[in-house]
Amino acid sequence: MIEFRHLSLTLGEFALRDVSLTINRGDYYFIIGPSGAGKTVILEAIAGLHFPDKGEVLINGSNTTLIPPEKRRISLVYQDYSLFPHMVVEKNIGFGMKMQKRPRDEIDRRVDELLMQFGISHLRNRYPGTLSGGEQQRVAIARALASDPEILLLDEPFAALDPITREQIIADLLRIHREEHLTIVQVTHAREEILRMANRCAVIIDGVRMQEGPVDSVFETPESTAVARFIGMENILSGVVGAGTSSLASIEIEGMSVIAVSKVSPGKDVSIAFRAADVTLHVGDGHASSAQNRFTATITAVIPLGGPLTQVHLNAGFPIIALVTSRSAEDLALSPGMDVVAAIKASVIRVIENESSR
Amino acid sequence: MAQIPVLRDRCLISFSLLGGLILALTVLALMNMTVRELSDIPHLLRVAADSKVIDSIILTMAAGANAIVILMILGIPLAYVLARTDFRGKRIVETIVDIPLMLPHTVAGILVYILFMKRGLIGGPLYDIGFSFEDAYPGIVVAMLFVSSPYFINSAREGFEKVPVHLENVARTLGASRFSAFLHVVLPLSARYIYNGAIFSWGRAIGEFAAIIMIAYYPMVISTLLYYRFTTGGLKESSTIAFIMIIACFSVFLVLRYLSHFIGRHDDRV
Repeated sequence: MIEFRHLSLTLGEFALRDVSLTINRGDYYFIIGPSGAGKTVILEAIAGLHFPDKGEVLINGSNTTLIPPEKRRISLVYQDYSLFPHMVVEKNIGFGMKMQKRPRDEIDRRVDELLMQFGISHLRNRYPGTLSGGEQQRVAIARALASDPEILLLDEPFAALDPITREQIIADLLRIHREEHLTIVQVTHAREEILRMANRCAVIIDGVRMQEGPVDSVFETPESTAVARFIGMENILSGVVGAGTSSLASIEIEGMSVIAVSKVSPGKDVSIAFRAADVTLHVGDGHASSAQNRFTATITAVIPLGGPLTQVHLNAGFPIIALVTSRSAEDLALSPGMDVVAAIKASVIRVIENESSR
Repeated sequence: MAQIPVLRDRCLISFSLLGGLILALTVLALMNMTVRELSDIPHLLRVAADSKVIDSIILTMAAGANAIVILMILGIPLAYVLARTDFRGKRIVETIVDIPLMLPHTVAGILVYILFMKRGLIGGPLYDIGFSFEDAYPGIVVAMLFVSSPYFINSAREGFEKVPVHLENVARTLGASRFSAFLHVVLPLSARYIYNGAIFSWGRAIGEFAAIIMIAYYPMVISTLLYYRFTTGGLKESSTIAFIMIIACFSVFLVLRYLSHFIGRHDDRV
């Protein structure tokens, strides 16, 4: 288990501020956030490559602040793979074991095994400069695993890979995580990877930990508008809580009332966030619906997303973005200027109390 | 490196013409001397066979090499610290490294002399135990070491800076101590810079005159011998020694340049 307790760290222009994290043994943990948010620095801090200014890093309960990286059994794979350019593939993979002074035949055996496992046996005598990105990534991961780490740190491992290679490496990583019971901490700014691979995650923005928890909970219940925006909630609006029942709140936005499932108390400034995919569009009246929110809205733009989906921008007194299948957009002949009814269930609207009032 | 057909590139042609002027100056000087010297081959052979001249050339090159070995042992660690750390007063340390580069050679000579003479801060105690720098081989080495150190340290440092910190970080997470990471990753990847730095500073050491004569007029390094023969025997005598030294240096450095192609070459496309 890795624990960050109130870790602060300054590196030139950049700073991590009071970051606390809990990564459990066996987690596939993602550190997510926009580029330049400090995610790589967190990995380096776990590996012991930076001294914190304040706070501490605990691994399996003991303070590691003074333990040098080579004694931690934590392997790090950088986004640029960082293979040793003056060593052939097999020397790269065997490097860690050589440093640990393991017997020669044990090193050879383990290197062979990893070369087989990653399907790169034919590359064993090649120099890294002659390998493709995907091949380099496999060598880098094999090298990281060779020294038998307890924790594997991956910095944007798919950033420079083509989609096919990317799928293969994702499959490799998921298999390694399953078979070797390894704790993996992966950094990314791409949302799709998280939902597929991670069980827990932390959102880091500008050196601050915004939210941490199981992936589902972070993605369904963002605690701030910054997280809501990052996890892809297209609709983020601010308003004031009006009168409501004990479990349904009515939020006033631009003179309209939006009903949401929330226990927030009246009078508070809040933001609401919901996904475009959770907005349904109806043409014409008379359709009974269980959705609590039904707004008459004018379409301002119809934007095909290039795939099976189309984004529809609406004005209902406040802006709404909806996501429909391109097929529906065609069937309903959605076009700018057209009036439609936008329906949103109260249960999909996330109410976020504003940061200043928290 | 991409091969551009030079003759079709106007920019490269004009640059080559301008650059050729500086080469032409050196070539002209060399040819001028060569023609003069080859006009009296018996004289040339007599001077070349003069054991004083041969000894002096060997002494100069050996003392230079000796200085570079000491410089590598002390300069590599310093270069690494300068490349990898940032500390208060770093600018001051960097300036101290560069001082021998800026000082007139006579000033460097006086600095070395005062420190290493028989009554000097370092020379004194060592003289008491029978180790003399004045008019002795160690004096030549120490003067050469002083004047050539910036070339080596700065070149090694540049080499260390070119090695991505990420490589060192990865080596450490794989179980290498900082020293092992330095030995197995940083050093091999900066070998070319260290080698080139050593050649430059060796060349600089061999060329030193002023700083050396102040502490060690004897044994005579080649510059001292040349100057002595110039003042006593005249131009004909001294220019022949110069010619022989040029031939010796040119051949040695040509070989070293060729060797540098085999050192620390790696594919850095990763």
